[in-house]
Amino acid sequence: MDFSFPKEYQLFRRMVREFCESEVKPLAKVIDREHRVPHETIRKAAKLGLMGVPFPQKYGGMGGGEIGYCILMEELGRVCTSTTTVIGAHTGIGAMAIYLDGTEEQKQKYLVPLAQGTAIGAFGLTEAQAGSDAAAIKTTAVRDGNHYVLNGTKIFITNGDIADIITIMAVTDPSLGAYGGITAFIVETDTPGFSIGSLENKMGIRGSSTAECVLQDVRVPKENVLGQFGAGFLTFMKALDVGRASLGAGCLGGAEAALEASIQWARAREQFGVPIATKQAVHFMIADMAAEIEALRALVYRTAWLIDTGQPHILEASACKLFGSEVAHRCINRALQIHGALGYSRDYWIELGWRDQRITEIYEGTNEIQRIVIAANLFRPYGMRIPT
Amino acid sequence: MRMVIPIKQILDPAGITVRRDKERIFINREEYIIDPGSKAALEAALRLKEERDQAETIAISLGPARTDDALREALAMGCDAAYLLSDPAFEEADLSVATLILAAAVRKLGGADLILVGRQSGDTGAGQIGPRLAEALGYAQVTDVYALAVENGAARTTRRWGKGYATVQVQLPAVVTVAPEAFPPRYPHGARIMNAYREWNVPVWGCADLNLEPSSLTPLLTFRGESFPPPLEPERFRGNPTTVAQEVITALTLHKLINPGGGSHGL
Amino acid sequence: MDFSFFGELLEEEREITPEVTEGYRNLWVAAEAADGTLPPSTLEAIGQAREIANQIGVYVWASLLGDGVEPLAQQLIAYGADRVLVADSPSLAEYQPEVYVKILADLVGQHRPEMLLMPATSLGNDLAPRLAQRLNTGLISHCLKLTLDMSERLLLGTCPALGGEVYHTFACPQARPQMATLEPGYFRIPSADPYRSGEVKRVDLDLGGVTGRLSWLEREASVELPPVPLSRAKIVVSAGRGMGDAEGFALVQRLAEVLGAALVGSRGAFDEGWIPEDRIVGVGGQFIAPDLYIACGLSGDIYHYFGVQSARCIVAINPDENAPIMKVAHMAVVGDARQVIPAMLNALGR
Ligand SMILES: Cc1cc2nc3c(=O)[nH]c(=O)nc-3n(C[C@H](O)[C@H](O)[C@H](O)COP(=O)(O)OP(=O)(O)OC[C@H]3O[C@@H](n4cnc5c(N)ncnc54)[C@H](O)[C@@H]3O)c2cc1C
Ligand SMILES: Cc1cc2nc3c(=O)[nH]c(=O)nc-3n(C[C@H](O)[C@H](O)[C@H](O)COP(=O)(O)OP(=O)(O)OC[C@H]3O[C@@H](n4cnc5c(N)ncnc54)[C@H](O)[C@@H]3O)c2cc1C
Repeated sequence: MDFSFPKEYQLFRRMVREFCESEVKPLAKVIDREHRVPHETIRKAAKLGLMGVPFPQKYGGMGGGEIGYCILMEELGRVCTSTTTVIGAHTGIGAMAIYLDGTEEQKQKYLVPLAQGTAIGAFGLTEAQAGSDAAAIKTTAVRDGNHYVLNGTKIFITNGDIADIITIMAVTDPSLGAYGGITAFIVETDTPGFSIGSLENKMGIRGSSTAECVLQDVRVPKENVLGQFGAGFLTFMKALDVGRASLGAGCLGGAEAALEASIQWARAREQFGVPIATKQAVHFMIADMAAEIEALRALVYRTAWLIDTGQPHILEASACKLFGSEVAHRCINRALQIHGALGYSRDYWIELGWRDQRITEIYEGTNEIQRIVIAANLFRPYGMRIPT
Repeated sequence: MRMVIPIKQILDPAGITVRRDKERIFINREEYIIDPGSKAALEAALRLKEERDQAETIAISLGPARTDDALREALAMGCDAAYLLSDPAFEEADLSVATLILAAAVRKLGGADLILVGRQSGDTGAGQIGPRLAEALGYAQVTDVYALAVENGAARTTRRWGKGYATVQVQLPAVVTVAPEAFPPRYPHGARIMNAYREWNVPVWGCADLNLEPSSLTPLLTFRGESFPPPLEPERFRGNPTTVAQEVITALTLHKLINPGGGSHGL
Repeated sequence: MDFSFFGELLEEEREITPEVTEGYRNLWVAAEAADGTLPPSTLEAIGQAREIANQIGVYVWASLLGDGVEPLAQQLIAYGADRVLVADSPSLAEYQPEVYVKILADLVGQHRPEMLLMPATSLGNDLAPRLAQRLNTGLISHCLKLTLDMSERLLLGTCPALGGEVYHTFACPQARPQMATLEPGYFRIPSADPYRSGEVKRVDLDLGGVTGRLSWLEREASVELPPVPLSRAKIVVSAGRGMGDAEGFALVQRLAEVLGAALVGSRGAFDEGWIPEDRIVGVGGQFIAPDLYIACGLSGDIYHYFGVQSARCIVAINPDENAPIMKVAHMAVVGDARQVIPAMLNALGR
């Protein structure tokens, strides 16, 4: 057993870290305050292949697999959760669905520009009635000659307003339910009838946009059915499975940053005549952070390895998302405590990290849903099916 | 146009702490990187390559097996080929021996139109390789270059000269040493990073490949020890502003923190 | 003064013996002339050469190449040279590495100095390594200190490594001349003795067909460099509320300019409207790690200091001895910055 990263990944991490420190980190507070997407970062990232890290080079990707992608997410997570989210929704779920289930033609036409970052992607599942209960979507797709006509409204769609290509889950046969009645489509956002409703005003990740996407008689050619007709729910769930591992990687980065900041501040801050780093109460918080981070790192990269080697990974990916977001939560919360008033101040980044972290327990399936997925996987061998 | 870029791998200074008071060097993290001067040379070469159709950039490096990583990074940055010059007989190489080896490699490559190196390296900073190599190969040379363009068999350079700069044209073939601050390096493309390790090769050339006799590789300089500048002890300055100011400026100059005379750029 | 040594000096033009280190004598300085004067770096090298020569009992020779440089030869003698070899020709007006190497290598071949010192200037840094390669000898570059190992009559050169955090000492036991370049500003300029005597000798130029391959086109005072991010600036000068008013702040600005430093400030300076928000150093702003941080009129509590704690050297100027910044500063100047900064500018020659 060898737990060290192959050389190419070591060099990749070094490059990404330099990129994040010089290009991403300086903007973290700015984009939060200005409530805007860091387009300049996205352009630079695209030039380095960072918008298509997991995909093979024949599809314009970097060829880094899930391990490479997790490295990117981890490093981004250390400096800016907004940027992590923009790239995560684009690559990790948006483009990922096309990579996993697209035809060769679809990959050439859509995955290539997405992977190269010349087009931005998004993932359109959630609707007003369909949050955790993803199968409850109401958006419909009706056949009309060589086209499908889509109608409905998606909400909380990351990148919705900046995307060129969006994967949409719609009902094609209401009588068949989740398995059989739902189909995935690739939609070009400049298709007539596609429009953006309101943009969400969020607590955190304010440097990523979250949009309402309105589909009104959007005509999509039948070649744009993604995956098997009627199997759209599976396509989306597969993409989410993979996405969850990298989401955990982003959380890992956030937790690491919180730990490192805590160590530095505890050394520098003096109270009662000594650095607060001399206090056992502080040691314990820092030690707990470090232990959880070690466990999370092992989980994330083992899961990435499972994915890259084609092994079953649903339970592990859910665990990455669940455990990762909770470790990140505890770490940034402890860091805030260690920083005292400074942690609560908008001057420093801990407060931003705290607000940003919170979303990781909600999107791409709430943590409750992750627990259900994990439990379902544990009981399935005994023939028990757990309804959500 | 063929460009050869001899690069050097150094221990990442960010992983080193020097404790002057304890007269010790602590290596907290043993990680090797391309020397910033060499990276600037790679950047300068790659910019020239991008400007023309027919150009080839070849990185070479003298060092132990781990130097392979530096060369792969050079490939990732955009170099077309890379060769590792490694042999047990090279281990003791000083600058004059390194020059022999690098010159032999350039000859084996069929010569170069332009050789680019950093002005001086970040660890030992001798700044000798460029001019020595130019001499060994009989090439022209320009050192400490801040801007570089190539046209019609000549390079037009802006080099540091004394306290100012001078525009100097040099006939090719030439060795140009570049100022790191003028050529901030690019990030390598992610796909090239993957390919650098998975797809591309870095051949290793030893004594036999380069037609070098191990016995001809005797270093001229011998190392006679390491010492440390005096530690910065906290100091208070009091009294008449003029005297105090003079004392502070003197102390700062002594500690090499400021350079009122322009340092090595002064005449 | 005894001039009998001249005969001995002139006799030295013998065949080079196979024994590499034997038959080499005397100390050489490759002097430089710039704009009709001898720059300080050359005088420093002469001074250092004189000291070493006195210790081992040899003469100091200097070579001087250029156009119209002969009048400066006498000055080299005044500063400590015993003999000056002058190559004065319009063809040497511009520096050409190959030509300079050819002349110096020929002279070295004829006279065989034991040690050859050059200032580590633009020219010296360009020329010395190429000359060393031609002479097949070792070169210790950027020396901050030179000493002697008398047991083997070796020149020991100490030069900076790791960005000046460590010094390395080298020797060149197996080849001659032993070459070193001297970092300007590290060696004493000797006092001139206008009555000192020595010999000036003109060198007959025989370039043997060697021509320069450089065309010197124009001189520029500065070049445009890519911006250095604040986090990587080497010298940073910082202002705080204690500078009083815009006039006081302007002093800090001036100091930054003269030192080629980045200009930042405390939150106090930002509140006064002197610096933009992205130039506040501290937890609420930028984190920097310069070699030198000069804090002018700022108190520097932890919220500020946290952003600059990795600086190698902090200078604080503050009348309040108990200000937090004064406790962490390496050089704590107790005083009014509005008086100390002008005096510093003065001391810097501005
Ligand atoms: C910033 C942001 C970005 C987003 N980006 C995207 C995107 O790009 N694409 C996309 O399709 N969606 C996106 N979403 C939507 C996100 O995936 C959903 O918000 C999420 O799945 C939860 O759905 P909901 O908000 O409707 O909550 P609900 O489903 O209403 O859940 C409310 C609470 O009930 C709990 N709950 C629900 N069902 C159960 C159950 N069966 N057992 C136990 N507890 C349960 C939940 O865990 C939660 O605590 C985004 C959301 C946000 C906030
Ligand atoms: C959450 C939080 C975050 C913060 N973040 C930052 C931050 O990122 N950066 C930051 O700088 N501050 C920050 N602060 C503010 C910080 O605590 C200080 O209040 C601020 O740095 C003070 O600025 P100052 O030193 O310019 O002014 P003062 O504290 O008023 O100090 C002025 C100093 O000038 C001296 N002085 C007076 N006259 C002269 C003279 N003639 N010559 C020389 N010295 C003179 C005085 O003795 C005094 O020490 C933060 C505070 C909080 C609570």
